[in-house]
Amino acid sequence: MAGHLVGLRLALLRNGLRRSSWPQQVGLALGALAGLPLAFGGFLLLALVPRAEPRAGLLLVEVVFLLLFCGWGLFPLLSFAGDASLDPSRLALLPLRPGELVAGLSLAACVGVAPLCTLVALGGAVVGFGTLGPGLVLVVAAVLAQFALCIVGSRALLAALSRQLRSRKARDLVIVVVSVSALAFNLALQVGARLAERLERSDLEALRPLARVLGWLPTGLAARALVDAGQGRLLPATAELAGAALAVLALGWWWWRSLDRVLTTAEPAARRPAARPSPGLFPRPLRRLLPADQRGAVAAKELRYLSRHPRLRVAWLVSSLLGLGLVLFLAVTEDLRRPWMVLASLAMAFLASQNSLNQFGVDGPAYWTQVAAGADPRGDLTGRNLATLLTGAVTTAVLAVVLAAVTGGWLYVPVVLCLGLGVLALSLGVADVVSVRFAYPLPDDASNLWAVQGTGQGCLVGVVQMLAFAAQGVLILPLAVLVVVGLVSWTPALVLVCPLAIGYGLLLWRVGLGLGTSWLSGHQPELLAALSPRRAA
Amino acid sequence: MSTGEPGPGLPDGRSPAALSVRGLRKAFGSRLAVGGIDLDIPHGCFFGLVGPNGAGKTTTLGMVTGLLRPDAGLVLVDGIEVWRDPVAAKRRIGVLPEDLRLFDRLTGAELLTYNGLLRGMAPAVVEARARELLEVLGLDEAAGTLVVDYSHGMRKKIALAAALLHAPRVLFLDEPFEAIDPVSARTIRGLLERYTAGGATVVFSSHVMELVERLCDRVGIMHLGHLIAEGPTQQVRAGRTLEDAFVELVGASHAGAEELGWLGTWSA
Repeated sequence: MAGHLVGLRLALLRNGLRRSSWPQQVGLALGALAGLPLAFGGFLLLALVPRAEPRAGLLLVEVVFLLLFCGWGLFPLLSFAGDASLDPSRLALLPLRPGELVAGLSLAACVGVAPLCTLVALGGAVVGFGTLGPGLVLVVAAVLAQFALCIVGSRALLAALSRQLRSRKARDLVIVVVSVSALAFNLALQVGARLAERLERSDLEALRPLARVLGWLPTGLAARALVDAGQGRLLPATAELAGAALAVLALGWWWWRSLDRVLTTAEPAARRPAARPSPGLFPRPLRRLLPADQRGAVAAKELRYLSRHPRLRVAWLVSSLLGLGLVLFLAVTEDLRRPWMVLASLAMAFLASQNSLNQFGVDGPAYWTQVAAGADPRGDLTGRNLATLLTGAVTTAVLAVVLAAVTGGWLYVPVVLCLGLGVLALSLGVADVVSVRFAYPLPDDASNLWAVQGTGQGCLVGVVQMLAFAAQGVLILPLAVLVVVGLVSWTPALVLVCPLAIGYGLLLWRVGLGLGTSWLSGHQPELLAALSPRRAA
Repeated sequence: MSTGEPGPGLPDGRSPAALSVRGLRKAFGSRLAVGGIDLDIPHGCFFGLVGPNGAGKTTTLGMVTGLLRPDAGLVLVDGIEVWRDPVAAKRRIGVLPEDLRLFDRLTGAELLTYNGLLRGMAPAVVEARARELLEVLGLDEAAGTLVVDYSHGMRKKIALAAALLHAPRVLFLDEPFEAIDPVSARTIRGLLERYTAGGATVVFSSHVMELVERLCDRVGIMHLGHLIAEGPTQQVRAGRTLEDAFVELVGASHAGAEELGWLGTWSA
């Protein structure tokens, strides 16, 4: 049975590759290559640091083991909808007992890029702590215990949550939570690395209580077993290893129980959605602001999507978090707290416009609605731009006000507002051309936020977006020069740049909108075909 | 919305029909999906398009509704050339496509408002018609629910409501009764019959022969990208049931029965 399940996983991996076009295969290979540096980075970290800095060794291993465990817990939740081998209920109709399944699925879970990278990284711990002798066996056992904790813990969590994960709302929530926590983790890692550079020996002593707490977690027990075995304390190492093994068994029992429940009890019937009045297409605060025509309808739909579609929600949260990170960075850095730093909030305007480079991507095949209605392309594009302009202007203004409160640069807020509008408008002008000529659909299930649907356009999309980014940069340059002149030598330039930025931005937006509209007018069916790759299949 | 002077008609001078198609053709790479179709559907007709899977029905409906550009051919809806003046033609058309990709992060009511405003209708008219359609189709309780949480049948009904909202002259429906419960199916049938009685035209594709036989005045049978039979339903049936006529025309496979002899022997 185990052999069959491993074979199933291998077949799914192989067919996934075979179904992809060659640019996607290159993309997958690059993805695997991107995993390898992480794996080797982990390997080097665990292999070198403990020898160079023995006092930091235990804490380091405890933190790395815990992070690995959390990563294994969280990321499979994201791919649940897309990876058929993760959902135990798909096996419910086969005559299998939970015990057989636990054994088989455990082995199957060890197949893939992620387990390979994890094993490579953990291999570093064997090199870092292993010494020839009986301790080496315990070191290897501790590493394997950590690997088993990751695998069994991850699958137990999936089995326990599998019913909930099939509900649309839970999946939406998981996508947002996991993506934002991945970003927060990345930011925390940057801050952590900075702090680690400044650490003194006395600070290490201060961290000892933390190491003590982490040491009682299952991953901490495996870490302590590793360190103790490496330093020749075989008896405590054996006890800690037994503790970690017990944790694996407990997780396995939880997994077994969850599988038993999934395979033998009926799925609760889907609840009828409760009757409630529709809030109306136009969001309440904007009801008077948006025109009650095609442009307004498209803008309102875009704003509704922004608050309801996980992919857009994440994109918006990520750009907002980056802006917030900027404020935090300024708040903690003494030397950067100058009034003119308020201008940094313009980054938010630029970031907000970046999601518009593929404005039709989220529509995907649903774009037929616009084509069948004979929607006016100009009104369509204007509506989409209006929504981006509104959200971009609001987030930029909020960030500018917060930065002004931190730095005291209130005078720069009006400059930011005018420049922000200009930057947004000119970026949208570029986006209007790019998004009609180089549209690609975003995957339906939204479970993999970084995937590009199988149009064989993966590489092309990357190149086009880089070029668009560069074009926007070049067009912003004159405004940037004026701002620098204003800051460095001639302050009135900052006043001059305000009307100029708005006029210049609007002009470029009109040009971009005109170009986009004139192409789209005769090519709506072609855009629809680009957004629904399976039509031609 | 749907008023306006009919177009000039076919080059051969015949009076404009609700739908006229000449030499319609589409290939995807080397695979020919539709291989030159000629078709005339008169006003007020209930027309059924039937054919096995992969016959080219959906591709044909895509091309006549302006969603998929043909390689060659002429399509006139109410006398207006769809591919020369798409905006005017689309004012007269309502579409329910097969794959039902909708803006499903909108609620049912929001989706109808969106469709109405997209077609340039007045907000008050959209609101009144949407309310009525939701009620008739039994979706009034789900008006505030996101379409992504609708069942397949509910999605069909909301897409049908969106197709009817602007009171089009010609309605194209791809498998409209699939996954619809019997009560809703009867409601929809009644609605469409009343609609054609008023002079509008319905063109729909279906696999359910009994339904096509009962509803349609005219029927077209597609096979391998060609229209192999077309005309008044009685004439196409020629004394048989439509299913028998269909099976005879497209040719059925009789293989299989004797090869599966083991099916009567039980496992453990």
